[in-house]
Amino acid sequence: MKIDRRKFLAGFSACVGGGAVGSMLSPLPWKVMDDVAIWTQNWPWTPVPQDGRYSYVQSVCALCPGGCGISVRKVKSRAVKIEGLKDHPAGNGGLCPLGLSGLQYLYGPARVKSPLKRVGKRGEGKWQPISWDAAISEVSQKLNELRARNKPHSLAWISGENKGILAGLIDRFLKVYGSPNVLRDSTAHDAIDQAAYHTQGQRGTVFWDIENADFILSFGAGLMDGGWPLARMNGFPKSADGGKTLIQVEARLSDTAAKADLWVAANPGTEGVLALGIAHVMIRELIYNIDFINRQASGFEDGVMGGDQVLQGFKSMVLEKYKPEKVSGITGVPVDAIFDIARRFAKSDKAVAVCGRGHGRVAGCMDEALAVHYLNALKGNIHQPGGVFVVADPDYVRFPEPGMDKIAEYGLGQTRVDGAQSEKFPNSRYLLHRLPEIINTADGDSPVQALLVSGANPLYTIPDGKSVKKSFDKIPFIASFSPFMDETAVYSDVILPDHTYLECYRDIVSQGSMDGIVVSLAKPVVRPLYNTSHLGDVIIQIAKALGGYIETAFAWKSYESLLEETFADNWETITSSGYIRMNPQIPGTVATSFNTPSKKFEFNINAGAPEAPFSSAFEKIAMEGDAQNYPLTLIPYDSIRLAGNYPANPPFMTKIIDDTVLKKTHGCIEINPATAKQLRLSEGDAVKLSTPRGEADVQIHLYEGVMPGVIALPRGLGHTAYSEEWGLYGKGVNVNDLMGPIEDPVSGFNMAWGIRAKLTKI
Amino acid sequence: MSISDLEHAVDPNLGAADHPPQKSSGWVVFFCFMIGLVGSLIVGWFLFPQWLYSEKHQPIDFNHSIHMDNVSDGCNSCHFFREDGTFSGIPDLSACTDCHQDVIGSDPEEEKFVTEYVAQDKEVQWLSYFRQPDCVFFSHAAHVTGAGMSCESCHGDIGYSTHSKVYQENIISGYSRDIWGYSISRFGKPGEHDGKPMKMNDCAKCHLEETGSKGACFQCHK
Amino acid sequence: MKESATHETARRYGMVIDLDKCTGCGACMVSCYAENNVPFKKDESNKLDSINWIRVVKMTNQKPYPDTQICYLPMPCMQCDGVGKHGHSPCVSVCPAVATDYDFTTGIVSQIYTRCFGCRYCMAACPYHARKFNWWDPVWPADMEKYLSPNVSPRMRGVVEKCSFCFHRYQLARDKAYQEERAELEENEYQPACVEACPVKAMTFGDLNNPAHAVYELKNHKHAFRLLERLETNPKVYYISSKEWVRRNGDNYLPDEAPGRLKSKAKARH
Repeated sequence: MKIDRRKFLAGFSACVGGGAVGSMLSPLPWKVMDDVAIWTQNWPWTPVPQDGRYSYVQSVCALCPGGCGISVRKVKSRAVKIEGLKDHPAGNGGLCPLGLSGLQYLYGPARVKSPLKRVGKRGEGKWQPISWDAAISEVSQKLNELRARNKPHSLAWISGENKGILAGLIDRFLKVYGSPNVLRDSTAHDAIDQAAYHTQGQRGTVFWDIENADFILSFGAGLMDGGWPLARMNGFPKSADGGKTLIQVEARLSDTAAKADLWVAANPGTEGVLALGIAHVMIRELIYNIDFINRQASGFEDGVMGGDQVLQGFKSMVLEKYKPEKVSGITGVPVDAIFDIARRFAKSDKAVAVCGRGHGRVAGCMDEALAVHYLNALKGNIHQPGGVFVVADPDYVRFPEPGMDKIAEYGLGQTRVDGAQSEKFPNSRYLLHRLPEIINTADGDSPVQALLVSGANPLYTIPDGKSVKKSFDKIPFIASFSPFMDETAVYSDVILPDHTYLECYRDIVSQGSMDGIVVSLAKPVVRPLYNTSHLGDVIIQIAKALGGYIETAFAWKSYESLLEETFADNWETITSSGYIRMNPQIPGTVATSFNTPSKKFEFNINAGAPEAPFSSAFEKIAMEGDAQNYPLTLIPYDSIRLAGNYPANPPFMTKIIDDTVLKKTHGCIEINPATAKQLRLSEGDAVKLSTPRGEADVQIHLYEGVMPGVIALPRGLGHTAYSEEWGLYGKGVNVNDLMGPIEDPVSGFNMAWGIRAKLTKI
Repeated sequence: MSISDLEHAVDPNLGAADHPPQKSSGWVVFFCFMIGLVGSLIVGWFLFPQWLYSEKHQPIDFNHSIHMDNVSDGCNSCHFFREDGTFSGIPDLSACTDCHQDVIGSDPEEEKFVTEYVAQDKEVQWLSYFRQPDCVFFSHAAHVTGAGMSCESCHGDIGYSTHSKVYQENIISGYSRDIWGYSISRFGKPGEHDGKPMKMNDCAKCHLEETGSKGACFQCHK
Repeated sequence: MKESATHETARRYGMVIDLDKCTGCGACMVSCYAENNVPFKKDESNKLDSINWIRVVKMTNQKPYPDTQICYLPMPCMQCDGVGKHGHSPCVSVCPAVATDYDFTTGIVSQIYTRCFGCRYCMAACPYHARKFNWWDPVWPADMEKYLSPNVSPRMRGVVEKCSFCFHRYQLARDKAYQEERAELEENEYQPACVEACPVKAMTFGDLNNPAHAVYELKNHKHAFRLLERLETNPKVYYISSKEWVRRNGDNYLPDEAPGRLKSKAKARH
């Protein structure tokens, strides 16, 4: 048979048709279709989280000084979620967005995975992984060299660890090494603690018993903007089922001001003056606590100094200098409002006045801290429930007195590099913000020859970033112990990465309450992920490598054994319940607790007594820049959605930042619509922000809640380190770069609350 | 169709008469059709299933039967509910090491297990015959504790097997053949000793029969 | 509101959010991200493509300084019951793939990612912008995949996702109840992650049909309202605010219309 083309086509078609029919009668197409559908639903790059036994590890958050209790949910060996720990005294079951994001630090791309040595230029980001032995010998060699040159005091350690065993180890290390230069950031608490010292003679930590107060008069404290223990947010704000009365004095409508019963929009920098105006009304109307003032205070009435000279007392000073009309003129708060606030404050059962701008990142002005503290004294709430307490710092860290060699004794005899604890600033423990200028203006070699940094990111947080960087360039050796690639780690010579707080034991000291200071124990939630090492163990190792008295002073086997030894009898309690309380307060023990020469609360004002901390000339806290060239006032603000300090915002927190704060890589500046109109600026305009210290490109955001003439930038943006995948790199402006420090004449603390600025349209 | 055919089609003057009459080629067509039909049926019914599944063996040939003889609580002894009501599934190595710290029998598979896994503290990568895609939430508690179903009613008598059966992995979807069922056509019922198929329709069918409703999506999806 | 529905819904889980308490901290959002494997991108400032199951919206009263007020409005999926509580929520009724449905045992609206093919009709239909589309495949850099929860399936590019009232928590609570041979869940046994995380306890969650649950009373608070009530989507998320301008923002009102009055009209129609 001849198969022609036609037949072939017919046959072929029939074969295909038969195949089609046959296929349809077989499971093949149906099964393939089903399998392909399943295949498309399970792409190999979509992760499938492994299931397993669920468990919870109770620990404590170490991302801010709040020390809230956390409960970490685990699936097998993985940590999958951090939640608030119910019944923990700090946090009370609540947790802020930062604490909730903790696992992103643990597993995130910003981790330093092994000790690193710089191979490129500083800040270039070229690293060579080295062994722990090599890393420790890098540091110990440098430190040995400084001692050999008889310059042990040129070693400085910037430490974020403020209390507890790690802080004790760092202090001890520098002591036996021979350097007085432990440097820590000062916060609003330092100013407030010092105010309490000046008036009550007590050294310790001030806490306001907000838990038991029913009326809070806040001079700018961001009680609901984060940075304060979250337990304090409970009971706030006022709602149908009760709550506390809150009056917020602030130039910008913050989240705290938004929740307040009354928002008092005082001119920025004059909040303390308003406090004195309120004091004036209380005194004039005799609505202060007369009993407390008469029996337990001195310096209230005028006194006789000897001869004919009259020492002006607080009463006549306030009555003379802080008349409501004048205060109203300075603060912009109506006279009626001043009277009203004073009366409400005075008549409330348990009222307390608090201060510290935002998260309290800047120590602030002593006059202001004292003014607010005086207000509490007028209320008579010192050491009363719902009032102000000074709690002695917990003293559970007690190391035996170490032996020291001659070099160490010589070094310790030198003055501190930052001028703290000096004749000029005897009561201030640390003045970190002064360091850059001191290094930059030093003749010859930098007074700091080696810098160690732990738990801090000074290149980001110290004001006037440019001069900070310049000063760091003059330090020949910088070592960082950061677990993350932060700005300072990037700029160091060697990184000895610490564990994160989720990988190791650590004691965390929280702020106090009536029931005492809470000391919690952070526990290893997961095994260390990378080749990192506990800072405590590293200090012990470095001490070993240095030998001699230093080695002897650190004769512990490991940090963990030291921890157990330190808590001794309390170890059982702290490991089982997660925390212990120390130094509980007994209310009303005023008379026995004041430690001033008069054994009374001293209104220490300087009319006629120049050494007194309070200046009766106090009107407005100074600000840098001239109004001519810089017509606007720039204020930084804190937000609970931005980690403004250390460490930087995790991706989850960056995700919840409003698009009126950050737009793509542009930081937004808040400006009142009326001011914007004058400047012919509208929403979304790109502008150049200039201050005497620097300039930056920002985007306009019109916000009714910011005072006309004032512009506001958030803290916590403008990072130039961490991983790019971290999602914060190069976004927005670091407001610290635009502001310089302003020195308080009494304490030396930085009191810069703002800076003069101008906006120019690009 | 060729171009000339097209010309015929569009030009009415060109009739069929221009071509010689066609001899019927029906038988050719039929024959070819049958070749296609039979061929594709063979492919679809016999070759395709062989091609679709690649065969894998468990790392250890596990003898369920011998374990059943030695435990007190049946399946529950190893595949238990945790306190929180979740189901433990395939046991971890730690569950085995209670007994198998050292070789206790004479089975070479056990010796392999002890030397290669227990001694090295390495988890066995068991192949799960019943693993569902990630989007599926299955509550063992609802079925076993809540509805009082036995393990066998879905998993068959795997608990009495003396050897681990071959794991057949679908090369397209990556899931075990047990989910679809061993009958590629899904006609008829699975054997008495076999596990039940576990596709969504199988769940829905049983739910409809037992509870009167197929249930809402979230009942079984996550 | 009349509680007897034409279609029996055994439980109707819902939420009452006290806006007077909410400080806008965002803990609910972050807790939700961590609970539900919500991904993040390098840039999240375009809020139109930023995936959130609950988002906290900032509202102001538009008054000049210093009379300005702000109020934060946390917005999860409203889990609409639909007109007459038939389960015809706006999204469910338009989905061509049955990738979202209404569960009559809990009143919760589901979203099945593997079933969704990304047409986004539901997003267009939802008046609350509760639904979000995955324009990209999610990426968890470094070791971040390790923190993913096995209880919620990670999504892929091209599908819609939304708040589920943490349905997996309901499932886990039920598993526990089975284990303890209990038929019913306690009120505190099933709480979504956002509610649990709220540091000021502004959110209350429970069965709106159950008189023993706190939400039963709270939803009838004199300052309680729901968003866009006149659309009759019947949301199961209620808000409480003592401020009238806030309640007014909950819907479109004529200048002479008071928010309270409109609500009573909507009530009467049921």
